[in-house]
Amino acid sequence: MKVSIRMIGLATMFFWVFLIAYCVVAVYSFRDVQFEFGDPQTSMTQDDRMLVSLPMIIHNRGYSNLGNLNVTTRIADTKDALITEANSFVPVIKRNEEVIMFHNLTIDVEDMLQNHQDLMFVDTDLKIYQAVGMSIAELVPVEASSNSSTAWGAPLYGFALGTPEYALYNTTHIRVSVPVSFENHAFFDVAGNIAVRMFSSDDLIIGQGQTAVYAPQHSTFSGIVELYIVNLILSRNAYFDVTFQSPLFSYGPWVIPLG
Amino acid sequence: MAETKKSEQHKARRIVLKILKATIKATIVYVIYIFLSQFLVPISTFMPGIQQVAETFMMIYIALMIIGELTSGSIFQHFFGAAKALFVIGYLLLSLNGGIFGFSLEGINLMIDLRLFLMIATLLGLLGLAKSVLQAINYMSEKAEPALSVI
Repeated sequence: MKVSIRMIGLATMFFWVFLIAYCVVAVYSFRDVQFEFGDPQTSMTQDDRMLVSLPMIIHNRGYSNLGNLNVTTRIADTKDALITEANSFVPVIKRNEEVIMFHNLTIDVEDMLQNHQDLMFVDTDLKIYQAVGMSIAELVPVEASSNSSTAWGAPLYGFALGTPEYALYNTTHIRVSVPVSFENHAFFDVAGNIAVRMFSSDDLIIGQGQTAVYAPQHSTFSGIVELYIVNLILSRNAYFDVTFQSPLFSYGPWVIPLG
Repeated sequence: MAETKKSEQHKARRIVLKILKATIKATIVYVIYIFLSQFLVPISTFMPGIQQVAETFMMIYIALMIIGELTSGSIFQHFFGAAKALFVIGYLLLSLNGGIFGFSLEGINLMIDLRLFLMIATLLGLLGLAKSVLQAINYMSEKAEPALSVI
């Protein structure tokens, strides 16, 4: 009995020493892991989605391997409605190894602006949740997360139709010049087409016109849409409906009363 | 008269030896702790309270160890051995908050899942408890054997 008790004692001590040594190695391994983040790159995918790519370099200079490296990014609006989410996963980073990975965040701008229409016209803050998780020594899971916010610039900030100017075009038609202006506060260029239709008080189309739009990021656009209408049917209760179309996103029609 | 004096001297020597043994053991454990606590310095930047937790743990552990050593040769030694093993389990469970250790550092929330470590440590604590129970059984059976041989 004494021998077996002694053996249990020796085994317990051995396992305690092993466990403590393993913990020390794991902690020092975690300390020697280095993360480097490159500048985010923005590009367009083939299906007209915006791709934000964040290059990451991970140096594992520790004594043990890193497992299950998982990078998560979640972007939500101010009401916590999810806009987009991305995950990047590396199964194992061996010791003394360097891994270059790209954390890709795909944003379907059209879908986003359809579901969160206030983002089209109003500058706001987007909530960003970021988390980096890994298993130190492939056994002890660790996660670092942060909540931050980023400013969202509206692509059609302050969109407005100015006071229409009427000019006689010919004996039957009037030329209506509608000034269009907005500020592009977004981080992308806005290039597309603005189509304006004019309706009578009886909801009949009385004229339509369109103009090409190009507003680089953080610039102001001012243009004029010309419509030709029959001079007899112009009424006070007429209204415009406006449609914006671009490869990145489309919006409309939205109704703007005359004047 | 001379025999009683000899017996008293023997008892005193045994107590002195026990105290000496306890002091040496406590010193060795404390030196090991001092050595290992250096490794805690980088951890204390992530977990600010870890140094205090480790110090309290060592104080109680060494106290139980000294009492166990002073009561060696009696059944109480095994009681304190069992108490030491239970203390290790209980203290780890309480101080490590069930194995999920979370804290905030400069706006970044860090979460360390130490459940595997806690599980292994608990199992080792249970092994230590089993050892103390076996030692107590062995002690009692050794005590009972001379009485049985007399019968």
